[in-house]
Amino acid sequence: MTAMDSLTPVLLTPVVTAVLLLLIPGNLRVVLRSVAILGSALTAWTAIGLFARFQPGQVGLQFESLVPWVTVGPLKLAYHVGADGLNIGLILVTGLVGLAAVLVSWNIERHVKLFYVLLMLIIAGAMGAFASLDLVLFYFFNELALVPTFIMIGVWGRGEDRNWAAFKITLYLTLGALTALVGLVALHGAAGADSLDVTVLQRHLAAHPLPAAAQLWIFPLVVFGFAVLVGLFPFHSWAPIGYAAAPTATAMMHAGILKKAGLYAILRVAVPLMPEGASRWLPLVAVLAIGNLLHCAWVALRQKDMNLLIGNSSLAHMGFAFLGIASLTVIGVTGTVLLMVAHALLAGLSFALSGYLETQTGTLDMTRMGGLLRRMPFYGTALVMGFMAGCGLPGFANFAGEATILFGSWKSLPWLVVIAAWSGLVIGAVAMLRALRAVLQGPERPEFARVADAGHWRRLPFVVLLAAMVLFGVAPGILTSRIEPAAKVVVAAHLPSPPAAAAAPASAQPAGTPAQPGH
Amino acid sequence: MEHAAAAQHAVESGSRLQDLAWAILVLPLVMAFSTAVLTPRNRMLSAALNTSGVVVSFLLSFTLFCVFGGQAVDATPFHWLPVAGLDANIGLHLDALSTLMLLVVTGVASLVMIYSTGYMHDDRSYSRFFSTLSLFVFSMLGIVLADNLLMLFVFWELVGVSSYLLIGFWYEKPSAGDASKKAFLTNRIGDFGFMLGILVVWSLAGTLDIAALKDKLVANPALLGPWAGLAGLLIFMGAMGKSAQFPLHVWLPDAMEGPTPVSALIHAATMVAAGVYMLCRVFFLYTAAPGWPAALGFLDGVSAASIITCIGGFTALFAAVVAVQQDDIKRILAYSTLSQLGLMVMAVGLGARTGDPSASMYHLVTHAGFKAMLFLGAGSVIHACHHEQDIWKMGGLRTKMPRTFWTFLIGTAALAGLPPLSGFYSKDEILAVALEANPIFFGVGVLVTVLTTFYMSRLVLVAFFGRARGEGAGHAHESPASMTVPLLVLAVPSVAIAWLPIGGFLSHHFQPGHAAHGGDILFGPFNHNPIAAFFGLGAAIFGFSLAYSLYGKAPASDPLSPRLGLLSQAMRNRFYIDEIYDGIVVPLHNLLSQVADAIDRWLIAGLAVRGLAGAVEIAGRALRLVQTGSIQTYAFLLTAGVLLIVLLALK
Repeated sequence: MTAMDSLTPVLLTPVVTAVLLLLIPGNLRVVLRSVAILGSALTAWTAIGLFARFQPGQVGLQFESLVPWVTVGPLKLAYHVGADGLNIGLILVTGLVGLAAVLVSWNIERHVKLFYVLLMLIIAGAMGAFASLDLVLFYFFNELALVPTFIMIGVWGRGEDRNWAAFKITLYLTLGALTALVGLVALHGAAGADSLDVTVLQRHLAAHPLPAAAQLWIFPLVVFGFAVLVGLFPFHSWAPIGYAAAPTATAMMHAGILKKAGLYAILRVAVPLMPEGASRWLPLVAVLAIGNLLHCAWVALRQKDMNLLIGNSSLAHMGFAFLGIASLTVIGVTGTVLLMVAHALLAGLSFALSGYLETQTGTLDMTRMGGLLRRMPFYGTALVMGFMAGCGLPGFANFAGEATILFGSWKSLPWLVVIAAWSGLVIGAVAMLRALRAVLQGPERPEFARVADAGHWRRLPFVVLLAAMVLFGVAPGILTSRIEPAAKVVVAAHLPSPPAAAAAPASAQPAGTPAQPGH
Repeated sequence: MEHAAAAQHAVESGSRLQDLAWAILVLPLVMAFSTAVLTPRNRMLSAALNTSGVVVSFLLSFTLFCVFGGQAVDATPFHWLPVAGLDANIGLHLDALSTLMLLVVTGVASLVMIYSTGYMHDDRSYSRFFSTLSLFVFSMLGIVLADNLLMLFVFWELVGVSSYLLIGFWYEKPSAGDASKKAFLTNRIGDFGFMLGILVVWSLAGTLDIAALKDKLVANPALLGPWAGLAGLLIFMGAMGKSAQFPLHVWLPDAMEGPTPVSALIHAATMVAAGVYMLCRVFFLYTAAPGWPAALGFLDGVSAASIITCIGGFTALFAAVVAVQQDDIKRILAYSTLSQLGLMVMAVGLGARTGDPSASMYHLVTHAGFKAMLFLGAGSVIHACHHEQDIWKMGGLRTKMPRTFWTFLIGTAALAGLPPLSGFYSKDEILAVALEANPIFFGVGVLVTVLTTFYMSRLVLVAFFGRARGEGAGHAHESPASMTVPLLVLAVPSVAIAWLPIGGFLSHHFQPGHAAHGGDILFGPFNHNPIAAFFGLGAAIFGFSLAYSLYGKAPASDPLSPRLGLLSQAMRNRFYIDEIYDGIVVPLHNLLSQVADAIDRWLIAGLAVRGLAGAVEIAGRALRLVQTGSIQTYAFLLTAGVLLIVLLALK
């Protein structure tokens, strides 16, 4: 390992960029934009380098750095970062979506400096949250990423409802995060370890397992708290209106990246550390995921505003992620992490696309559009590809993730798989094809005679995200070979076939027999 | 495992000729991509690139066919999704079925590409047309070569999307946009079942590999136990979508909104045949012992194959009846395609009893040739008549377009099943199988033959004979050589197939032990099963006489319509199936989404948020009123709250 093999540069680059931006006078917009682009490009490049140097097929952490900091009462705090299969892909896409988010922000005119500083803080916060192994650090970075989103919606937001949206998103996410925090604090107390470091907790709990009774009440606090950040039904209604009101870059970062932090925490902390809590509570999560898969997908069908459509169908995809976690199988969890990476790219791309469309048409009301493919062939192609990926077309990474989840969950949750397949293959397709029909197909409209296709540099964010989606769709093995060893660790407690008493009825049935989803 | 050993052997002997299959598969994709990225504005180069790509694929397919014949070999697989327990590869399998299908797909595609250079000449999206067509060929070849179920599904979806893009090629026409959407969504309903079927099979057999699955089922026929029937039916749902079987048939007639070369290649010869091909690929699933889970106990004693037979037979008859009263030349051919696909599906189902679906596959091959020719001929007619598609505005084209006329006539005779043209032999095999298995379906087959000959004779008599009824037909003249030469080339297999032992070649694949019965020799059918042969021939002659008596004297309008009265109305309106869907299925889904939306808006956003989080919200609102309402306040409060809790926890 060389000195380069550390996660610290990928965390520091956006922070340093933010500081540099602060030093530049606010009226030098070109300089500000250039520095932001260079900083995010460097971050993305560093992330790509880390992903490439990550050794696939290995269990355990890579690029680990541990710097002890202070001890506060019973809690040792440390700067502890490292990567394994669960987060290396997320670090990569944070770099890519971050770069794309900076690139699509060319039309920001007000408070340019503040905008880019906040955007770089979101990138830094997301990177930090994914890289952290100390849960206090994780929580700090997650907040560092969330707070700028609230500010950005308030200052650069769109539409009449942006204050209400900003309020609602703040309320939900704050309550969710606080609930999770209470859970983490309780976990610390119940475990009796001297820190909230994941590796320490893991070692400690392996020697002194948490009593089942404690798991049963701590697990839901952590899981449902974080699930609010992901938009698990029925805690989802903040997401679509929040994204509709957010500036494009914020929506890309939040829907693409920050939402994944909740899922990541569930996979990193809740499921591996509290296996009995997982067996007891995940069936409920699976039932709620039906709400995402069916309810949110149906709601998406009704939307006339493209951002609301993307927001709701993105929630439907989160149903797949929860289903994969609830399966408690290596295949299912691998699929979930794969889908998290894929969906980060897709959500980033979708909001970038809707953002560009709004700059050209001045509206996102799809009923007022039509025939735009004629004037925007590149944009139209990107939109078709993005929306097709959104309804599970093979060749894009999203299909690989969804299919893996379906296979992984089939034996334990067959009825949910049926619902997920219907949601992904049919309802999702109806929503996406209706949108394509409304926006691109049909006769050209005179009021949009002046729309312009994306020019050379404007194409870059779409090309970057689509290329990554296609790469991981054609060769998902690049990701799964890195994810699988870590997924085994997540569900390790559930691997020997009849694990806990709670899981026994489901696994005792012959394979393929439809078990009740609520076991 | 045998296949792995065979592949291993091939590695050792150093001959990896089968890896040429990769070139066949990937070449069209490379061309599609290069066209989209490099030559979107160079029409000549786009056409040349894509056409040559497919032609080279055809030549390579022919090479592999000559080298391997019906021998089963695997190309080196690509580990697509390597997760323990799933291990989905992209692996290419060559055997009698896939090499023959490779020839059909690349052969027809080559001719359609050449034809399109003329037909699409004035279109401004010339390059986009060719690159999408290449994308389709790539996807279709993936289905043909797939060695496992998940890869089959992957390319199944890719075929669906390329068909979507091509049906909606003229996207500015609202009808084309609607048709493309309908095609994709109807297919997706079938794919939903297909995916579940794959999951059932995978969870019980533990493999996705088709050859390994077959070996396991041979070793243990009860492997799928009570799920055998359901797995078979679910996988068949995929075929129902792609091969447009009732009740998922509604998309195919609308798909004629696409350019005519697309209709010829995709919606006549290849994509719609994919369902039948797939059923033949996984045929062993349908010969396994039938079984049903307890919830479907009422199906005990019924096999999945017999349900497939019924659906196929019904589709064949239903579509043939509808075709009798259609006026649009492409719609007549579309319903004819539906009907012939129904026959093929019926033959697969019937074949399950004898263990040999080769009649179905044989008909697929011959049908691909003559139906592509008929569609390209129809395209030539439409091109000449200035985009007129109503046969009642045509007439007298026989003398104006002789090459189109003669090839169309050969296609019609082949479809009607007149010896010595190809359709006679393949349809005879279906009739012979039906006669052995179940006289009811023999009756269906004969009736379909009568109707087929009737509507095709009607089409030819009205469009090509008599006097021109419309202006377009009056000024029609023969199409350019780029269009007529492919027609002439496609006529060759229709004429020559009677001398080729394709039926025996396929039979040998499914039943290596049996000797070919000679159904492929010129007079074979009359020796082998004279009843089937004479009934088939008699049905064709009867159908033609009926059509001649009505349309032989060049009437100005259809004399049959007033006689049929209301029935004619129903036939013209496709028995109102589309209206039923539009009236029930679509509103139902809309209602569900309306309800969900209302719940979201009022219950969750309204009551639940305001109720559950009410206290916090009121506090928040109060604070917002007091403290300038800026979002920074919330951010500050948030951070403060977090710190507070941390401090409390740390005591």
